[in-house]
Amino acid sequence: MDPATGLGPAQIGVLVPLAVATILLGGIYALISVGLTLIFGIMRVVNFAHGEFLMLGMYLAFWAYFVFTVDPYFVVVVAIPLFFVVGLVVYGLVMRGVIRASHNVQIFTTVGLSTVLQNVALVAWSGDFRFVRPWHLSTVVRAGATTFNLTQVVASVIAVTLTLALVAFMKWTHAGRVMRATAQDRDAATLMGIDTDRVYRLSFAIGIAAVGAAGVLVAPLYSVYPTAGLQFVLISYVVVVLGGLGDMLGAMLGSLIVAAVEVAGSYLFGAAWKEIFYFLLFILVLLFRPAGLFGQRGAETLGV
Amino acid sequence: MPRFMFALVVAVLAVVVGGELALVGGQATSGEYKIGVLEPITGPLAFEGKRHVLGLEIVRDLINQRGGVMGKKLVFAMADATDPTAAASEANRLITREGVKIITGTFSSRLCGAASEVAARHDVIYWESSCVDPRFNKRGLKHVYRTEIDATGFGWYNIEFIAKHLAPRLNLKPNQIKIAFLSEDSSYGQGVTESARQRAKSEFGMQEVMLEYYNWQTLNDMTPTILKMKQLNPDVVHHISFSNDGVLFWRQSKEQNFLFKALVHAGATGYGGSDFGKALGNDANGVFALLEPGPGFRLEALKPEGQQIEKAFRDAVQKETGSYPLGAHQLAGSGLWLLKLVLDKAQSDDPEKFRAAVMSLDLPVGSMINGWGVKFSELGQNANDRVQHYMLQWQNGQLVTVWPEEFTTLRAKWIPLPAWDQRK
Repeated sequence: MDPATGLGPAQIGVLVPLAVATILLGGIYALISVGLTLIFGIMRVVNFAHGEFLMLGMYLAFWAYFVFTVDPYFVVVVAIPLFFVVGLVVYGLVMRGVIRASHNVQIFTTVGLSTVLQNVALVAWSGDFRFVRPWHLSTVVRAGATTFNLTQVVASVIAVTLTLALVAFMKWTHAGRVMRATAQDRDAATLMGIDTDRVYRLSFAIGIAAVGAAGVLVAPLYSVYPTAGLQFVLISYVVVVLGGLGDMLGAMLGSLIVAAVEVAGSYLFGAAWKEIFYFLLFILVLLFRPAGLFGQRGAETLGV
Repeated sequence: MPRFMFALVVAVLAVVVGGELALVGGQATSGEYKIGVLEPITGPLAFEGKRHVLGLEIVRDLINQRGGVMGKKLVFAMADATDPTAAASEANRLITREGVKIITGTFSSRLCGAASEVAARHDVIYWESSCVDPRFNKRGLKHVYRTEIDATGFGWYNIEFIAKHLAPRLNLKPNQIKIAFLSEDSSYGQGVTESARQRAKSEFGMQEVMLEYYNWQTLNDMTPTILKMKQLNPDVVHHISFSNDGVLFWRQSKEQNFLFKALVHAGATGYGGSDFGKALGNDANGVFALLEPGPGFRLEALKPEGQQIEKAFRDAVQKETGSYPLGAHQLAGSGLWLLKLVLDKAQSDDPEKFRAAVMSLDLPVGSMINGWGVKFSELGQNANDRVQHYMLQWQNGQLVTVWPEEFTTLRAKWIPLPAWDQRK
């Protein structure tokens, strides 16, 4: 009865579509996690409202499609600067005041922000499930035994591009170097004359821009509703810890690992098991490699 | 925000004008009678909870146009049950602050248990219209009633449909049918699935090829499950979905070209909600969902009093929403109408007199909204065979009634389901 027992040709044939499913799902997780790893890694703020910015991105895609029939791929071009500004504003209004406060205060603040955003969405747009259905959503590409959904492929490709762009930014620009320095040791960075407040503001805005873009891109794949962000936010924390705080490439690899665990777990043991597996992995990493699988030393101090 | 302001203005006007009309048009009422209404109006369950509230408000107005309850105008004290904890504390508030003697609610099986415990502690009547957790009536709480059938009833009807309607049309004997059970893991999903499994096996000897539960809130990809199912090759997929999981399963089944002969769901969630059709358009064609009646439902199949209230209700919902009543409207609405029938008889909210009236009601199928009848068991549960349920099918963007055939003018199509691009 269980297809996992016995490894026949049919089981090997299914490996390819499973691998494809892993890569596509991993791409989506990466897209959502790169923004979080920036904020979490550099500011050391556990941003519980991350999922709500994803939800706002999804609503942007929905309204743009519903009112003007603009494809999400075009909306994403507008979404990046728009959410950058949103990030700056939210940082100035909310985050700036608590950036040096205790973690408890930060958690209360971001949970509060998350609740506020969810309920603003509920009041403004109701609790209805909304859907974005561009033409490419129902375009299925078949290649041999495997099938691809065009929307998901494009989302994954953009995720990789965006992540690589951020990696390049962090590595080769002055701003990126300053951000990494702050991530490694905020006190030493201050002593070196780095304006940490500016660094935080920039990190937060870039992080929100990335997650806003992610929201726009995943909107066709999932339904859009005020609490749509919740299902992704926990996973992105697992990804960020796996990959190491503030490490973009780590986040991408972490996403693939989480997706692989999820896909293999669902296939072999059943969908109810997938969370057990990736949270087990999460705990193991915290125990044995607290800096993440690919993380830098010192990052585990969480700025305490 | 203008939308919100507009809604507020409309709501205020509706209350003022509606109240006036009731006084002019109906029998005169003196004073108000307040009951507690507990539904999730914010949070993750709000999308459905708000529809329940609308169903309740529409039937409240119908009741007030017809003389109210116990000679008084029926009014609501609203409470927001976002989660089980809020449901319990809000039930407490309704009882201690608002002083209600009757509470009605509560869309979700996650909420009704917690809220009714509180009501029972205060000897307040709990009148449940929607939650289907089988354990609800089995806790020895004397003043807890449910107008809808429980999840076991849903499973019973689903297997009835598969064995008696689908099997002959598939040219299979019931015991030749290979059935895969897939379900979200709330008490609702489990209740329906377990009772369906039991009946499928013991009564019809169907071959169960898979059983799988999942948490719909954390589900992002169903491809692995679908690839597994493809190898097991079931004839019928019995899938209880809660929300987006139905859309995800159907869309990804198409992507993976997973072919089976029929998919059967139960309840107003997932495949049974209007959102499924909105998400998929004509791609939704063919899915079955056990529900309250939809388009195609024959009014003439009901008793005269049932025809009258069903029509009034349907027209009122149509006027309000521009479409046929949804399951949520129908469950909440029929529950409240049945409460009126009981109060008419009891003329009191004293729990003992109320209980006597509930037990004495005996109405055949076709007597009220949804073509339901009434006969409560000692446990406070309305009977499976009185609470008539219907199989609806997605046909070109609409859920229409297809079974039992004596209640409908429309017929089930696409049996067995053809290739994905040929379901038009």
